[in-house]
Amino acid sequence: MLLYIHVPFCRSKCRYCAFHSMVASDAALVLYVDHLVKEIQARAKDREFAALETLYMGGGTPSLLSPLQLERIVGAVVEHFSLGPNLEFTMEGNPGSLRQKGYLQAIRRAGVNRLSIGMQSLDNDQLKLLGRTHTASQALSAYNRARSAGFANISLDLIWGLPQTRVKDWLDQLKRVVKLGPEHISCYGLTVEPDTPLEEQCLDNQVTLPLEGEQAKMFVHGAELLESEGYLHYEVANFARMGYLSRHNLGYWEGSDYLGLGPSAVSTLGGERFANPPDLDEWMAGVAGGNPWPEPETLDAGTTLREMLMLRLRTSRGLRLRDYRLRTERDFMADFAKIIETLHHNHLIRIRDGYLRLTKEGMLVSNTIIENIFAQLDLLGTDTASSPANHDK
Amino acid sequence: MASQSNLRNFSIIAHIDHGKSTLADRILEITGLVSERDKRDQYLDRMELEQERGITIKAQAVRIPYTSRSGEEYILNLIDTPGHVDFSYEVSRSLAACEGALLVVDATQGVEAQTLANVFLALDHDLEIITILNKIDLPSADPDKVAQEIEEVIGLDQTDALMASAKTGEGVEDILEAIVETLPPPEGNPDAPLKALIFDSWYDTYQGVVVMIRVIDGEIKKKSKIQMVSTGRTFEVTSVGAFSPEPVSMPSLSAGDVGFLFATMKDLDDARVGDTVTLAENPTPDPFPGFKTIKPMVFCGLYPTEPAHYEPLKAALEKLQLNDAAFSFEAETSQALGFGFRAGFLGLLHMEIIQERLEREFQAQLIATAPSVVYKVTSTSGEVFEIDNPAKLPPPGEIAELAEPFVRMEIHTPNDYVGSVFQLCEDKRGIQQDVRYLTSTRVIITYELPFAEIVYDFFDRLKSMTRGYASLDYEIIDHRPADLVKLDIMINSDPVDALSTIVHRENAYHHGRAVALKLKRSIPRQLFEVVIQAAIGQKIIARERNSPLRKNVTAKCYGGDITRKRKLLEKQKEGKKRMKRMGNVEIPQEAFLAALKVGDDD
Repeated sequence: MLLYIHVPFCRSKCRYCAFHSMVASDAALVLYVDHLVKEIQARAKDREFAALETLYMGGGTPSLLSPLQLERIVGAVVEHFSLGPNLEFTMEGNPGSLRQKGYLQAIRRAGVNRLSIGMQSLDNDQLKLLGRTHTASQALSAYNRARSAGFANISLDLIWGLPQTRVKDWLDQLKRVVKLGPEHISCYGLTVEPDTPLEEQCLDNQVTLPLEGEQAKMFVHGAELLESEGYLHYEVANFARMGYLSRHNLGYWEGSDYLGLGPSAVSTLGGERFANPPDLDEWMAGVAGGNPWPEPETLDAGTTLREMLMLRLRTSRGLRLRDYRLRTERDFMADFAKIIETLHHNHLIRIRDGYLRLTKEGMLVSNTIIENIFAQLDLLGTDTASSPANHDK
Repeated sequence: MASQSNLRNFSIIAHIDHGKSTLADRILEITGLVSERDKRDQYLDRMELEQERGITIKAQAVRIPYTSRSGEEYILNLIDTPGHVDFSYEVSRSLAACEGALLVVDATQGVEAQTLANVFLALDHDLEIITILNKIDLPSADPDKVAQEIEEVIGLDQTDALMASAKTGEGVEDILEAIVETLPPPEGNPDAPLKALIFDSWYDTYQGVVVMIRVIDGEIKKKSKIQMVSTGRTFEVTSVGAFSPEPVSMPSLSAGDVGFLFATMKDLDDARVGDTVTLAENPTPDPFPGFKTIKPMVFCGLYPTEPAHYEPLKAALEKLQLNDAAFSFEAETSQALGFGFRAGFLGLLHMEIIQERLEREFQAQLIATAPSVVYKVTSTSGEVFEIDNPAKLPPPGEIAELAEPFVRMEIHTPNDYVGSVFQLCEDKRGIQQDVRYLTSTRVIITYELPFAEIVYDFFDRLKSMTRGYASLDYEIIDHRPADLVKLDIMINSDPVDALSTIVHRENAYHHGRAVALKLKRSIPRQLFEVVIQAAIGQKIIARERNSPLRKNVTAKCYGGDITRKRKLLEKQKEGKKRMKRMGNVEIPQEAFLAALKVGDDD
């Protein structure tokens, strides 16, 4: 079982961000923690959950929680859930809120054993443009401080495809990051989300993103560089040293059940998906009013199949062809012969040892590939969607 | 029932937007046939599509009781006529069913080409014409000038022209009086053998075939054994009556009457427009002249986007054909598009209407190929045959002569645009026949043009270059030999038969380059390179390339993103259903019309 806790507060809103988060006030944080603890109790009582393999606190900026608040949350989790022997406990933090070694030591004492730092860029101009409140040197010292506080598993978040950057800028930055020696690196292509200040700037031509070809090179050459430095490219956006893959995130891509707590958090449990209300007040009202489960989205066999294809193809391990057969009693290679031939011919996929995986070039166009696969699934008819699922659990 | 001398059968002739339907509505209201409360705007235009486009596609006839100012009771039969060049034969049959016509002319605009063509048609049928200068409520109306123009152009005496505003109702009562005073009653002998003209027919789901007739001589009633002159087929009449405006059964229809008949017919083809209905035992010795079998002039391929939609598409086409004898189709196979249909239409508007109805009423998802005209091929062995699909053209070595249909076209334009109209017609390989000044500012230009050149962007260009002031009318005259070649399109080296067109050799290079460019723009980028080539025979005359798509990836996808991301991809997938997969390349519907749109922006 995976447990996700969403902390919906930030010190300020980034210009590219479309997530549900709000600028923190102390009072709101207090109320949030009270309600979260109640939600932990209520959910744990309501169902039988397997032992937690991972706990992930994301946001927002979870590092805005005080050590005491964090301890209260963790205490509630420990009290109401059983923990697996090898719990991966990740917390996200922004460089700006990781300024004190004492804080870092405190969260480590609270049980956090994996720290994910939102570094984003080492270029101060770019950080400013993104609306980040920290500087590159603050990010570097946050990293060093975390190390000296004893964190042995640190992930750094970076954004590529930033306005006015070239391939060389990105590669130079990656080299500097690699020198720091983080165990894990996430590289997200900058996405211009609707209704964000960044979108406005793009529409007004105040900023221009690199051309498609340039972006493609950033992705491919960046990934090659990291691989040559010993990082495994294990998912579209994720790289890790051996043994440091994010087990929590791998769980999402492999179809594990997960429970999400906090506003906007999503749970997928036994073929049903529940989404908490994104609005803080609405979420709190729900928790206070007996914490009913949200109206579920039922994942039928066809939907589960599509999600399996969509998610597995994000990983470098790829889709196990046998899993397709187990779900559908059909042969993937036969069902998708034409698409496979085209993709193969254009070096977008590799098939080996019973797995189909996307090449780096394939990952770059994975949406188009998956759209084609979905369209073909429809043509195959409903029988692929109706057979009993989940033999492999 | 009114005696023959108190019958008046008339049509309204008008250009689109000159107020025909509004006037018809006013007449129905003022005579009390349709009350203010339950009238729908423009009662005569029944189909939704007609209302939307503001034009009449099918003719209708309404029986209107009217008491004149002198207290005499009359029956007025208003026979509506379709308002587009594609339907000129149907117009001629509707006019033939009348003794008179109201010529409605917009007093702010003057006479248009299509109006003029219909007026001459009416004069050919010896119809009495009442001119109505409409829209006199508008400040820009200049009825005197327009009346003078009508006198000069048509030679109609305008002393008795009526002024009206169909919109406000002003002058409409005078029009009704003029109809009974000026228009002659029908002649014809009620005791002679039955002779009735079919001026319209359609298929009604509940009633079956509805036949609109004008009885010339004799009488028809329930149980009459009737015979169709063109086919010799016989039927028993199950009911006769008239629309007033709802259908009303009547004991009989006799000489001079206009109304409907239902008979034991199953097929719309049994009631062909222009045919004569007579009695099987006592047939008329002289059927109504001028019957023609309507021949489709423009053809296009209609293909389901997915093979599974073939049967539903076929069913939809069959249903449409029930209602529209002028529309034809047969099964066809394309290497590129698979199983589909070749459909024939009277003209471009007719084609667009059918395509829209297929999508709207039958939710058909289809790919329509670029329209083609009918070519006459003489092979080297001396055989002569017609083809309506460029893909069916034999190899050049087997063709002795290739002839294309020509039209004679009249274009009315303000004299400011004469130069541009000449230029357009010359561009389209036209041959100038005549230039006449209607008035000092209005000109009629007559050209003979290859029909195929009109099928491409002619109407749109004429409209835009004359700011909508020009109007036109055309008729097909003959086939003429020309130096024509087949232009083939290849996508990633595979020829796409559905994209082949026949073009004049002189224009082939320009056209080929333009089509290739248009295709490049309409085919979305794919996971691999797409090369588009245009070729004449073995010779490549144009090449365009779409580079492969390089980046389309969701940056992050964690637990809270999965549903949204999946739905996004599912939505994209739905878009792909509107495309046809050819080999590996997805080709959207627009691409098949690329040849049509050439010239829009180059």
